[in-house]
Amino acid sequence: MESTIPLSFDRIAARKAVQAERRRSMLIDLGVTLATIIAALLMGFIVIALLGKDPFLAYEALLTGPITRLGRTGRWLELATNLILVGLGVSIAFRARQFSLGGQGQMVAGAIVAALIAIYVPLPPLLGVLIPIAAAMVTGFLLGLLPGVMKAYLRANEIVSTLMLNAIVLRLYDYVLTFHLKPEGSATTRSLPVQPTAQLPTFYELFGVDLGRFNLGVILVVLGAIGVWLLLERTPFGFAIRAIGANEQFARYGGIDTRRVIMLAFAAGGAVSALAGVHLLLGVHRRLFLDFVGNIGWDGITVALLARNNPLLVPLSGLFYAYLLVGGDRVEQQAQVGSELVQVIQAVIILLITAQVLGDWIRARRARTQAEG
Amino acid sequence: MEALNVIFSVAFLAAVLRVSTPLILPALGGLISELGGVINIALEGIMLVAACTGVLVSVWTQSAWLGALAGVAMGTFVALVLAFFHLNLKADLILAAIALNLLASGGTIFVVYLVTGDKSSTSRLVSGQMPFLSDFIPGVRALGEIGRLLDQNVLTYAAFVLTAVVALFLYRTRTGMHLRAVGENPEAARSVGINVRRMQYLALVLSGVLAALGGVYLSMGYVKFFARDMTGGRGFIALAAIYLGARKPLGVLIAALVFGAAEALSIQLGNLRVPTQLVQIIPYFATLAALVIYAVVQRQRALARQRAFVQSRAAR
Repeated sequence: MESTIPLSFDRIAARKAVQAERRRSMLIDLGVTLATIIAALLMGFIVIALLGKDPFLAYEALLTGPITRLGRTGRWLELATNLILVGLGVSIAFRARQFSLGGQGQMVAGAIVAALIAIYVPLPPLLGVLIPIAAAMVTGFLLGLLPGVMKAYLRANEIVSTLMLNAIVLRLYDYVLTFHLKPEGSATTRSLPVQPTAQLPTFYELFGVDLGRFNLGVILVVLGAIGVWLLLERTPFGFAIRAIGANEQFARYGGIDTRRVIMLAFAAGGAVSALAGVHLLLGVHRRLFLDFVGNIGWDGITVALLARNNPLLVPLSGLFYAYLLVGGDRVEQQAQVGSELVQVIQAVIILLITAQVLGDWIRARRARTQAEG
Repeated sequence: MEALNVIFSVAFLAAVLRVSTPLILPALGGLISELGGVINIALEGIMLVAACTGVLVSVWTQSAWLGALAGVAMGTFVALVLAFFHLNLKADLILAAIALNLLASGGTIFVVYLVTGDKSSTSRLVSGQMPFLSDFIPGVRALGEIGRLLDQNVLTYAAFVLTAVVALFLYRTRTGMHLRAVGENPEAARSVGINVRRMQYLALVLSGVLAALGGVYLSMGYVKFFARDMTGGRGFIALAAIYLGARKPLGVLIAALVFGAAEALSIQLGNLRVPTQLVQIIPYFATLAALVIYAVVQRQRALARQRAFVQSRAAR
């Protein structure tokens, strides 16, 4: 319809005004986020000083740690890859205001299924990587579908269902690893390595640059961020997700099949989160062992939140968060201040960012001054 | 066969009570918050903070009761922070709670490290322990197996008493009914003059008190030290127990006992070469099933009400 009727100048001007307003709103969000981060870092600085430790030494380690040695840079980028992939997956359901906390389970499930193929099935190059990736995505999709169906059609609380699925998957993982994947007579609980053709090559293997375990899985980040952005911003499905996130009842009155969209938002998120598991398997560790994923599932949620569920900002927030994590480890070695303090700083940042009041307050003030002027 | 002997022994029952206590208390707290419409995901963090504070204060004051008191106060404070961020600063309840869990995990380790120079636990300190029944009535021990069953921590007894207290509060007091009304439909509650924010503050603070008691039990009853992340996901299992227990106090108590039994069983079966992971999965599956059944039943009821309403109008 729109393309056949020429836009009047009024409408073009109106659209420009809306876009300008949206940009301003984003700038305010960005400003508040940066101010929050600086405030939290300052708080940490004061705490370290009060403890009688050298805050300058600690902050030098925190802020330069990840870039002063190539190995640490690699660790930073590798960790960011994981966090960004989970963050992207989580952001899809979050955009529809569905609190899917299932990223952890989806990662692990994706990793198990991918491992069964990558360890035991010899495949030609390229296919050896692509088939485990596809298998992990399907697994994540199905694992996301389950809480999606429960929430959309039965109104079952998604927080509890996803937490339960996480717990179930983690124990199944332990079971499969301990009783089936662990080779007979092996002393440590770990699987065989994946087939050589299933490995995502590291940058060291490719170019001789020693960036630790940082590997070609980073391509998944680029594709994932663009893909999720296209999905959310340029497809009817994405429009429906955003409409539901803005106002579910209104979306339903507008003719959107909200239940189907909610269900699929969970599933799509699961498919993307599972990529992090497959990246860990094929690129980073190349085998399974106990406590394979650590805290990545929860950290990924934080990363999505910091980016306000904007898929183009998730890579930035993932890089930032991973930087703090790697820097935190460095602080511990250098300044005898526990990396836990960095964790506390992270928590304070999240807590302050969740407080909507500040951004809303600035916006309201602006609206008021504009109305007066 | 051997497994059955284990399950039907008095020692096993005693173990179930021990293991269930740190699930019952936070689950009751979670129930209150859920019925108030502000589900508390930070139970885990509150338990950790309470457990840590309790141990440290008991070391400092040489009094278990003062330690417990401080632990509960500190845990309640964390719940208050959550309430303030959600209700005053309009922070998202779930995300703020996730942040508090992170804060609790890092903060407790940090404080323990500052005090002891050890990051893993306070086992080097001599900390207090809440009394057991045999500390009040020494004769209990002489009763043999039954005595061992009865010789529980005072907080285990408290968990059962508090289940009744919570039930009375929610269903027999005016405040409790207001709290549930707010959770059921905040707009409707507000229209009849109930202060929604005050009720939700109350719901979160009470959930904090109960979760904190669970945390104190963990470090000052179940064991006698604080270890990093010692809650081990109990705050989340407690959330599950709310739904497995169909959001009723007695149901929640039974659900927490079921989770406790599964944990106790998996400890026992570890010696019998049965995969413990598979045993541990059972209650989680049960919760998923309970979640579905509960949702379906609620739907059927709503539909039945709708039909009855339509029929009553048609009859008129």
